[in-house]
Amino acid sequence: MTARRVVITGSGALAPVADSPAGLHAALCAQQSALKPIEVFPVDGLQPSFAGEIRPFEPRQYLGERNLRPVDRTARLLLVAAQQALESSGWTAERRTQHEIGLVLGTVFCSVRTIAEFDRRAVQLGPSYASPLDFANSVINAAAGQAAIWHDLRGVNSTVAAGEASGLLALAYGTDLIRSGRADALLAGGAEELCYESFVGCLSAGRLGSARPIPFDARRDGFALAEGAAMLLLEDAGSAAARGAPVLAEIRGYGEAFDATAGEDEPSAAAAVARAVRLALEDAAVDPADLDVLSLAANGGLRTDRAEARGVAAALGEEGARKPAAAIKAMLGESLGASGAFQAVSLLGMLTDGVLPGVLGLEKTEDDFPLSGVQAVTRTLDRRPRLGLLHAQAWDGQCVALIVEAR
Amino acid sequence: MSRIAVTGVGLVTPIGAGRDEVWEGLLAGRSGFAPVGSFDASRFNAQIGAEVHGFDPAPWVRTLDPGRLGRASQLAIAAARMALEDAELSSFASSRAGVVMGTTSGEPREVERFNDRYLAGEMAGLDAGFMGLYPCHMIAAHVAREVGCGGPVTMIPTACAAGNYAIAHAFGLLRDGKADVMLAGGADAFSRITYAGFSRLGAIAPERCQPFDRHRKGMIPGEGAGVLVLEPLEKARARGARVYAEVAGYGLSCDAHHMTAAHPEADGAVRAMEKALADAGIGAVDVSYISAHGTGTPTNDRLEILAVQRVFGKAAERTPMSSIKSMIGHTMGAASAIEAAVCSLAVATGRIPPTMNLEEPDGDLDYVPKQFREHDVRVAMNNAYAFGGNNASVIFRRAEA
Repeated sequence: MTARRVVITGSGALAPVADSPAGLHAALCAQQSALKPIEVFPVDGLQPSFAGEIRPFEPRQYLGERNLRPVDRTARLLLVAAQQALESSGWTAERRTQHEIGLVLGTVFCSVRTIAEFDRRAVQLGPSYASPLDFANSVINAAAGQAAIWHDLRGVNSTVAAGEASGLLALAYGTDLIRSGRADALLAGGAEELCYESFVGCLSAGRLGSARPIPFDARRDGFALAEGAAMLLLEDAGSAAARGAPVLAEIRGYGEAFDATAGEDEPSAAAAVARAVRLALEDAAVDPADLDVLSLAANGGLRTDRAEARGVAAALGEEGARKPAAAIKAMLGESLGASGAFQAVSLLGMLTDGVLPGVLGLEKTEDDFPLSGVQAVTRTLDRRPRLGLLHAQAWDGQCVALIVEAR
Repeated sequence: MSRIAVTGVGLVTPIGAGRDEVWEGLLAGRSGFAPVGSFDASRFNAQIGAEVHGFDPAPWVRTLDPGRLGRASQLAIAAARMALEDAELSSFASSRAGVVMGTTSGEPREVERFNDRYLAGEMAGLDAGFMGLYPCHMIAAHVAREVGCGGPVTMIPTACAAGNYAIAHAFGLLRDGKADVMLAGGADAFSRITYAGFSRLGAIAPERCQPFDRHRKGMIPGEGAGVLVLEPLEKARARGARVYAEVAGYGLSCDAHHMTAAHPEADGAVRAMEKALADAGIGAVDVSYISAHGTGTPTNDRLEILAVQRVFGKAAERTPMSSIKSMIGHTMGAASAIEAAVCSLAVATGRIPPTMNLEEPDGDLDYVPKQFREHDVRVAMNNAYAFGGNNASVIFRRAEA
């Protein structure tokens, strides 16, 4: 049996810097920072007090007049990105009545705000005042369920969580479902909302930086929290060709690994990164020398950035470690479950016009920094890139890598 | 394509822990219901739950510090350790070994703790552990760190169908050669959040859970964990492992209809079962036992009966179908993982656990009332349905040559 090939036929993105895939790529290449003073919840003296907030966010502008009341912020972000991906891929509402479209969502919290508000209301006013609408959204698959209802997606529907690697994991999981014939077309990506609970959680865990995050810079001291949603329409290559769909790129393969020390032991953490990258190259049957561009997960985290750089360099070898590399969280911040999906949408932009966003603020890497293709300034590559590597790494140990080929 | 075997079973449930204690309890019709003990339920319109009492994580959590884990992680690790012991796997510390776990709520008690402090005005003192305790992917990550594995580690939070989703995903990874051995299952901890939600929906039964009874009054929230060891059948046989059953196939679907209510014609449930049968290459007539979702709510059970009738046709009435939620309540994300263990054990032992508390059956299906049954279970189908319209059916089959 020949393995089914997986192509990308649509994309959608709703980010603090843009509300379309093309807009996202342009904003990243222009090195626009997503960070702004937080307004979506009262900051009340918290430091830092900035984040990658989507503001203004008027869901009706995208979604029309349907009843949005049962749909919380995470799901609203997802609805918009999913709608863009469906529209750009040509999977119209009419076509969706005839075909099962699936959905795989990567998220860390779905909505911990909804869960926490549901509980606070029940505690303060009594259980009989708890909101049934909020309870329906308190499950971690709520956004995926709401998107299925909104967009009539009756196929495989799943939610996956692997920290900051969730978005890429969703793409890997979706790739598997298409390869194995369990779906012909599905949306895959990630969504995460910015809220008080996750912000305070990251802050008290010491993960937030004091100023703008600078991935791979020697001065980095943490990430900036952000929100958003990005979705790709993944499709069996044969089915896509049969319906004459636009093909943006192909997912050639993926790899997954876990660091059982959760970053406490740097060699072990770097080895997990390297395993994920090697497995992806192997799955894709791609030689590291043939890669044209890398998009990395570095977010300004002290130990995670270093482990990623060492692991990627170990897997790619001397030549591979010189490949042009982007670290878009310098601009975008860390949008947790959505971030890997943003990397994927951004990579599609790079593969289209050959422009690679620079790492905003990068001045000095550590002395033994092994990836010479990481640069501060946005540049146009000599030739149009064909093969891209996506890598995402979670604080808690999950690593996912994907190989994407331009069309 | 390689066949995938179930070679280990680990269970922590409201009626006991470990394969034998739980299986004997289920066959004997033991009840796990008791007044809620983990929080003050006096303001709720029901006060009964299916909690795991007297659970001590210490014997199971050996690498990590059990005091720095949420309860769902503790339950998950205990079940994972039991499954590994049951499979006689002395080490899981391999980059070819992985973990997939399902859950409904992750660690909701950490949000409750967060809120208790927030409402007391103590936000500045939020402990640094929230990020290491609460996010649901920590359950799979904790299990993986505890056993030291380096392969794929994934959390699938697809609510009350999550255990089946996790087993299905692990099955796919093994078949694709992405791993050599997987721990797969589900875990959830009893919480006031979950209880308040089901209470507010009017879904909690006052005293007992009576799936498929005409007078059923609702579900009873519970907690627990179920974990299976899955590995290629060939490898299992080569190492002389006991094989309970093989995973024959699965089907997933989405209602795309309503967040908390099933599709009125059970459309999604029907499609999940049909896909699972097609994936396993069998027909409904080949199924010897159905492990029902069977929550005991009026709507779920009515639509589940309809779904089985639609898929099984005339075979529906002669295919035994029982719900262990009549004994252990609804253990949420753990439920279908525990039920997957039940399917594996039913295949291995030729016994079907009963549906307890069944006085007046609703409809004409065979619910295996009150008494376990000796039955040649060649093929067992495990059905699970969830909020969000997520449906998952997994099929287990005797691993014949």
